[in-house]
Amino acid sequence: MTHQEMKPVDTKQIREMLHRKKAKMKRFLSYCARCSLCAESCFLYMAHDKDPQYMPSYKAIHSLGKLYRKQGKVNRESLMEMKGIVWRNCVLCGRCYCPIGIHIPSMITFARSILRSQDVYPQLDEASSESWL
Amino acid sequence: MFNFVQGQLVSIAVIIFILGLLYQGIQFFRLTKKKEWVFPPLPIENKPEKKTAEQWIIQCLRSLDGTLWKTDRALTIATSIFHVCLIATPLFLLGHNILLDQSWGLSLFSLPESFSDVLTLMVLICGTYFLGRRLLLARVRAISTIYDYIILLIAVGPFLTGFLAYHQWLDYKTVILLHILSGELMLITIPFTKLGHMLFFFLYRFFIGSEYSFVRGSRTW
Repeated sequence: MTHQEMKPVDTKQIREMLHRKKAKMKRFLSYCARCSLCAESCFLYMAHDKDPQYMPSYKAIHSLGKLYRKQGKVNRESLMEMKGIVWRNCVLCGRCYCPIGIHIPSMITFARSILRSQDVYPQLDEASSESWL
Repeated sequence: MFNFVQGQLVSIAVIIFILGLLYQGIQFFRLTKKKEWVFPPLPIENKPEKKTAEQWIIQCLRSLDGTLWKTDRALTIATSIFHVCLIATPLFLLGHNILLDQSWGLSLFSLPESFSDVLTLMVLICGTYFLGRRLLLARVRAISTIYDYIILLIAVGPFLTGFLAYHQWLDYKTVILLHILSGELMLITIPFTKLGHMLFFFLYRFFIGSEYSFVRGSRTW
């Protein structure tokens, strides 16, 4: 197991970070109509045979959305799963479009900062079994 | 109970609806105080030439190419019809305006009842299309939860019960009670759920600085 997978999750720190941007992020998450119209605006979605996992809304809901739903009480396994969503499935190109006007890149950015606070980030200098390309 | 539901509860629902929207609007302006110039003001000598009406219409039609009209035409049509009928039907319904006139002495103009009936059917048909889309399309199913189905029911409920009540199908008193309750439930939930896009769609698209703004919005989160 890597050191990322062994370190305990600091739930208190996650909750503090979630609380700081609660007003904006919770509004974004609650106003999401789950229409999936943001899908075609993501080139990764289009390049991966329209796999729903690459939809901007899917990425935001299953990373930051999950953190808010669980109020930060997540285990390391969940954080490692979110690592894939916010780093492998998204390059933060900013191309994603929401008809309602929700700013999805800021949600992914915030999710990344929360994961980094828990020492969860892509280890690009180590040999990895999964491809990040 | 019927008097309470069609009397005080209506007022409570309307007050919660208005105060809720006001609160969300104030919060939006408070959270987006930062300025961001996405489109800097043009110098006077580079001002674009005035267009004729024909040129303006052609430009509008061409601009549809970069919108959802190109990616999902059926949904664009369904959602446009749905939202227009959703707003127009309760506002210009004869029955609602008679009640308003009797209660508060004011009302809007009313559409012919048969036309209102058609608008209600449009809402129901589009609601069925949205339900089908949510159930059948994998990409929509992937991000849907029970909450989304409940919200759809809340949005369509007043129109379904209103349609049943108008045509006096099933027990009228029960259906009209359900109609009033579902309408009140919809009003109360609008400011606090994703139905709030009623207000936020316009706030975001007009005020937030973005390449997708309708005008030169300069606010940012």
